[in-house]
Amino acid sequence: MHFDYAQCKTGCFLLLMNLQEKIGILSAAAKYDVSCSSSGSERANQPGGIGNAAKAGICHSFADDGRCISLLKILYTNHCIYDCAYCVNRRSNDIQRATFTVKELVDLTIGFYRRNYIEGLFLSSGVIKNPDFTMERITRIARELRLIQKFNGYIHLKAIPGASQELVREAGLYADRLSVNIEIPSESNLKMLAPEKNYPSVLSPMSFIKEGIVQYKEERKIFRKSPLFAPAGQSTQLIIGATPDSDKQILTLASGLYGQQNLKRVYYSGYNPTNLYDSRLPAISVPPLKRENRLYQSDWLMRFYQFTVDEIVNDEHPDLELAIDPKLSYALRNPHLFPIDVNSADHHMLLRIPGVGPKSAKMILAARRFRKLNSEHLRKIGVVMKRAQFFITCHELPSHTIQELKPDRVRSILTMDLRKKTLPNALQLSLW
Amino acid sequence: MVGYRSIQANKQMLEYHYDGTFMGLLSAIFDAFNRKEYPDVILRPDGQRLLFATTHTVETNDSQAQRVLNGIERIGGKPTCEQLFHAFLSMSPDMEILLLDYTRELFFRKRPIMADLGNKTVLQVHKLDRKVLREAHRSVMFIRFERAADGMYFAPFAPKYDVLPLVIGHFKHRFTDQHWIIYDTSRDYGFFFDGKRVEQISIDNPSFSKDSGKLKEGLEYENEDQYQELWREYFRSIAIAERKNPTLQRNFMPKRFWKYLTEKRI
Repeated sequence: MHFDYAQCKTGCFLLLMNLQEKIGILSAAAKYDVSCSSSGSERANQPGGIGNAAKAGICHSFADDGRCISLLKILYTNHCIYDCAYCVNRRSNDIQRATFTVKELVDLTIGFYRRNYIEGLFLSSGVIKNPDFTMERITRIARELRLIQKFNGYIHLKAIPGASQELVREAGLYADRLSVNIEIPSESNLKMLAPEKNYPSVLSPMSFIKEGIVQYKEERKIFRKSPLFAPAGQSTQLIIGATPDSDKQILTLASGLYGQQNLKRVYYSGYNPTNLYDSRLPAISVPPLKRENRLYQSDWLMRFYQFTVDEIVNDEHPDLELAIDPKLSYALRNPHLFPIDVNSADHHMLLRIPGVGPKSAKMILAARRFRKLNSEHLRKIGVVMKRAQFFITCHELPSHTIQELKPDRVRSILTMDLRKKTLPNALQLSLW
Repeated sequence: MVGYRSIQANKQMLEYHYDGTFMGLLSAIFDAFNRKEYPDVILRPDGQRLLFATTHTVETNDSQAQRVLNGIERIGGKPTCEQLFHAFLSMSPDMEILLLDYTRELFFRKRPIMADLGNKTVLQVHKLDRKVLREAHRSVMFIRFERAADGMYFAPFAPKYDVLPLVIGHFKHRFTDQHWIIYDTSRDYGFFFDGKRVEQISIDNPSFSKDSGKLKEGLEYENEDQYQELWREYFRSIAIAERKNPTLQRNFMPKRFWKYLTEKRI
């Protein structure tokens, strides 16, 4: 690797490290940020420019952990003045530190983009000197990409908590999406794990961005050419399992963020055991992947299935069941709603049937205008009949639904099935 | 349709031959209507012939094909035409008869039937359409360019279906200031963009390896290897080791794409 020549002017410290090592350090440091989406923006290419943004987003690769790679997700630097307990980059950790130059990051983004490796850049950073200094660097990279390189691909920028509104506003002019990470789902626990941070410093840029987006949308209605401001909206991330917060707390917070703050996405990141020496953190050896999965399913229920948060978790059920998905759990708790007649139920009710998703619900609505649907039709359309059979009636002789079988029996049938699936092959064979 | 076929079973089988193009298939459909008959198979040139069948060789006739297409569009609209074209691209074994059935159904019922997913023919066309679009989307995801010394960006690709024509527009809008070639190595043709327009090409003496897709020694841009190495470094370090999940990775990114993927090929 011979990229060192570009750094000669910036000082001897940087000379010691080549670009490949920097990428290694600064992408590994960014990997716990789970956001990967490149959707929501339709930024068009301009004459002489490079790139555009696809409304639905495009994944370009899948890492060894199966997560989508859509953007070059990387930190500007992993130096940090803060000492948050849950973070690998906290200042008291003795780890290798690195910082990109603006030119390096710009060249890397363009070089990767031209080869169709990525949809664009997702830039975050540790906080150096102070929030404004850091935000200025992040913004400068985006400005260079947009104005000098005429790059029209996707840019997702982190707004650094505590940065000035002018800088966040400028960042919004270049970015497709802005995000501020809340990280810890309750204020008291944030105080405990990150005493140097507080909720207002996170929530105020979030509100500011929201206002910017609302204002931009209003202006767009009048002037079609008014400048873009974070057209793909904003998102945030919550760490799961680093604190004793319940699923009810987490999902209520998320629901509020979708409602009042108009967020596009809330990401949930199962706490990956880092900084095990810190006694404020729980002693776990693996990240709570199942819980994270159930939270995402609940999030989907709120965004695409017309569920409200208190239908998923409430005072009687403050935590999600890990053994079954939240929609099945809801159905078993509310047997009086079932069975649902697929040939007459409205969209809202179709979406409540376990085994029916938004796509199959739409297809049912379309197909039943032509003929009454039976279970064979449903299966072919893509309804998961294994689950749905207990919760529906269709154009057929009545079958055993949740009313005849009772919820407990349905639960045991369905969870038994799941267990069978996870049995190791050897065990299954020996049963023969 | 089944009843109709069983009546014919006593008669001699009827076999249509067409040239394997979409217009050819539409001409075959035109002939079936025109001759008031229902072929048992419609064969592309490489198709498996039946024994002792009556054969009819379809002459591809653009104006007749266009009449069929116009009829489809008049009743079903543009989306139906697109769906049928995508189903055609799937080249699945019984696709020709399926499209004939669909067209007959459409002309018989005289209303859009796209949403009638309780109907077997409609559902099957719907599924083939989805399959082909999925492959098209995957080419948008997994095509990888390699920069040559003369500034050309070259991408070899081997999709399951002939989907490059569906995605060239995407690349044309995105990469306007670089010259590129996207080449389908399994069908041996590709598209070349010269900064202004896209042209269909085929390469006689390939200057790249068909196995790895890599440009031959000396033809690469001098820093190309470094960029690829940087990308591989990124690919390695963005994964969380504790969450390793090769099955999930393969579900999203099937192995058949790996040979041309910068981050996966060896």
